Amino acid sequence: MKLKIRNAETGGTVDMELEADNTVQEIIEGAASFWNKEEGAYVIRKGKKLLRGQQTVTEAGISDNDELELIPDPEGGA
Amino acid sequence: MIRRKPIITASTDLAVEKRPRPPKERCRPHKWLSEESMRSYAESDGAFELYISKTAEERIRNHALSKKDDVVEVMGFLLGSIYEDGGKTYALVRDVATTDLDATSVSVKFDREGFERLFESMDDSCFNYVIVGWYHSHPGHGCFLSQVDVDTQTKMFSGPYHSALVIDPVNVEIAVFRLKEGSVEERPFAIYWDEYQNPYYGETVMARKKRSEQ
Repeated sequence: MKLKIRNAETGGTVDMELEADNTVQEIIEGAASFWNKEEGAYVIRKGKKLLRGQQTVTEAGISDNDELELIPDPEGGA
Repeated sequence: MIRRKPIITASTDLAVEKRPRPPKERCRPHKWLSEESMRSYAESDGAFELYISKTAEERIRNHALSKKDDVVEVMGFLLGSIYEDGGKTYALVRDVATTDLDATSVSVKFDREGFERLFESMDDSCFNYVIVGWYHSHPGHGCFLSQVDVDTQTKMFSGPYHSALVIDPVNVEIAVFRLKEGSVEERPFAIYWDEYQNPYYGETVMARKKRSEQ
């Protein structure tokens, strides 16, 4: 299965090949690692749906040629 | 059987479009800038690395003011575009996106159940955005980046065009920061408005005569 992942904070994209039993967490790790980012600081979405880390590709409803978006999960303090 | 990890087969970077900066006559300093920041604005040659639309600025200010009396922080994304002019890149913030927050007077993050509303807010911007930074408020604490803020900036917004906007609705202050070679520094910015945001855009406006001239 092939996916496109867009990095929302740079506008860059990657094409990813994966299996139906890969997890959402593995997708986040793969993309974050490619962009030298810490995977724990990001979430990923398909359309308006947040994909949960331990779900498999099948469970998350991801289909061939879907486009996902990697989004930062910031935290502020004072 | 060993499960294979996902493999990246190709990548593309954002194609940065060439586009002139907003003209000086449609730019203003933010009225909440400190005296020192206002001086930096005045001394600049008008070529900023960051421009924030009036629409986005009003949304940020109204968001911060909505929680001023509760003394609670607010936060959101700066949605914009990256352009090149004269060989230098600059970011144009057109809109902001936010959602329900898990916040106190000294901390803020997106509510874990609020992401789908955040995604709707991002999609509502109706353009091919890049998250060029984030904003959050420091109600009554002044404008600076705390260690938590610096960690966020380092992990997520370390690009040259990424900014952290901090607003204090209690002390009526605003400032934008960036990371440069690992250090935090203030980034001068301008508020701009598009011509179509002029309420009289496209209309011929006749000056009214003073009563004494009639």
